[in-house]
Amino acid sequence: MKRLASSVSAVIAVCIGGSLWAAEPANYPAPRAPEKIYAQTCGYCHGVNVGPVIRGRELPPEVTKAFVRMGPNAMPAFRETEISNEELDALATWLQQSEADPKERGQ
Amino acid sequence: MSGINRRTLLGAAGAIGATAGAAALVNSRMAKGQTVADVNAFMKEMQSIVGEEWAYWDPEGLLPYDKAYVPEPTDQLHPVGAVAPRTVEEVQAIVAAANRFRQPIWPISTGKNMGYGTAVPATPGQVVLDLKRMNRILEVDPDLGTCLVEPGVTYQQLKDYLEENNIPLWIDVPTVGPIASPMGNTLDRGVGYTPYGEHFLFQCGMEVVLPDGQLMRTGMGSIKGSTAWQSFKWGYGPYVDGLFTQSNYGIVTKLGMWLMPEPPAYKPFMIRHPNMEDVPAIIEAMRPLRVSNLIANCNLMMSASYQLSMFKRRDSVVPDGAPLDDASVKRAAKANGLGMWNTYFALYGTDETVAAIEPVVRQVLTASGGEVLTEAEMGDNPWFHHHATLMKGGLNLDEIGMIRWRGSGGGLAWFAPVAAAKGDEAERQTRLARQILDKYGFDYTAAFAIGWRDLHHIIALLFDRSNAEEHRRADTCYREMVSRFGEQGWASYRTGVNTMDLVAQQYGAVNREFNAKIKQALDPNHIIAPGKSGIA
Repeated sequence: MKRLASSVSAVIAVCIGGSLWAAEPANYPAPRAPEKIYAQTCGYCHGVNVGPVIRGRELPPEVTKAFVRMGPNAMPAFRETEISNEELDALATWLQQSEADPKERGQ
Repeated sequence: MSGINRRTLLGAAGAIGATAGAAALVNSRMAKGQTVADVNAFMKEMQSIVGEEWAYWDPEGLLPYDKAYVPEPTDQLHPVGAVAPRTVEEVQAIVAAANRFRQPIWPISTGKNMGYGTAVPATPGQVVLDLKRMNRILEVDPDLGTCLVEPGVTYQQLKDYLEENNIPLWIDVPTVGPIASPMGNTLDRGVGYTPYGEHFLFQCGMEVVLPDGQLMRTGMGSIKGSTAWQSFKWGYGPYVDGLFTQSNYGIVTKLGMWLMPEPPAYKPFMIRHPNMEDVPAIIEAMRPLRVSNLIANCNLMMSASYQLSMFKRRDSVVPDGAPLDDASVKRAAKANGLGMWNTYFALYGTDETVAAIEPVVRQVLTASGGEVLTEAEMGDNPWFHHHATLMKGGLNLDEIGMIRWRGSGGGLAWFAPVAAAKGDEAERQTRLARQILDKYGFDYTAAFAIGWRDLHHIIALLFDRSNAEEHRRADTCYREMVSRFGEQGWASYRTGVNTMDLVAQQYGAVNREFNAKIKQALDPNHIIAPGKSGIA
């Protein structure tokens, strides 16, 4: 075990120290606005007959946040790595204040 | 509040408040030989690698990693922690620590393998290695139609990138595209619905962190200065990319893929057949069109019940508790512009090539007893729209609606046995599936994905996971389907974390031993995803 661990560390030291390939661009996506998260995640189900309508219902932000993290029933759970706490706070507040969209359908 | 009922709200209240109940649940089982103290020590080491905020082993932080749709009534499969690195170097450091601490780690990209296990590991006591934060699109070559992505990139992100940069390339999506990742789906050998639908076929080049911490690039990727890493699949010597799909031999940190140039002409079709008994006629008609590549995309041949389950609820078709009989399904299907089987394909090319192929296709499919329909007849029919979107790499999450078909219990397991594309095989499979599902009181909500020469019979086992008896019954039903299909020579191409060992047994002792030898050679401490595809 000890020998393996030390050889693993040595290999990693080589890889990290003498980078084998050129540095890559740091183009991680920026935090997203609530409207964008709604359109690109929530809105694919909620409002199109897949999940219940959630806009215009004054859902308490704490409920929205809990639903997003736990994924009740059919709903997927979303981790902090997918929707950050900062993004989720803004999304939950935006959702509570959002107007109903007459084009949305839910059952 | 339609759809958000009292039980759901109570569940949320539980999650908002103390999650003490979950604490006992989530941390109930350690990996073999591990103690709570070992896991604590490992997770503190994880904090030192990725930062305190990206290592989770408290019940609340682990909650979204524990979401499952598959039947698992013994309630054994829960992660004991999760760690989310940002860089390849952090992944290497985590692997080194996992070796030192003998702590198994379960890599996920976006963890949205819905109905196959989501982010949940295949054995108890693993720490989820959440690669979602590694979400850079590293390269898109508009001329070659290639790209190189990290694990956490979603199909939505890739599509947005192409559109924002006016790059006329398509993506090819599985049915939960917006939230799933090209890497995760490709490594699980998933399929999509454009001509690039067999995802692993269109993969080209990988970077892999091996279990000893070394970083390997496959194909041309290890040649300094090569520009062909994403262009030439085979490299030199043994072709090894397949070893890193549906396996636990390494952690893929970069994946190359080919992207289809947007064709000048795209025309989606639907073939409507009236009877359940039409299965062999459809397959026999489609096969020559697929083998010759006159129809170039992976077709979905959808049963009416599968289609209805996406946008309708079961109690709108038959009363609660009643069997889902063919006459009721047929009535509901007809009211929604559907047949008992609905087969979707598209033609791609130029106006001239589409016009040349269309009469041939129409003649063959009309002779099979089907009505050949296009946008002209189907208009904005939601099912036609769903498939017309998928077949051009468009995004939706319509299929999540299936999980609400029988109520709000949230149970889904895909059973996906493979057969050769022959009508009689499909007919026999349909008969056997319906017999077993009927026996356990579940519905035949199924489709056939018609590949180049194969069929994936995609059977959605939908059940109420919150009902303990039904949960157990779904588990027994699924296992019986695996066993009885296996007796006929039909095994799954892919399965959920709850049945990986069961399916691996069907592929035989020699194959299992071969996989085990490779595992032992590459990962002697068995720290990467033990249990994946039945490999310890």
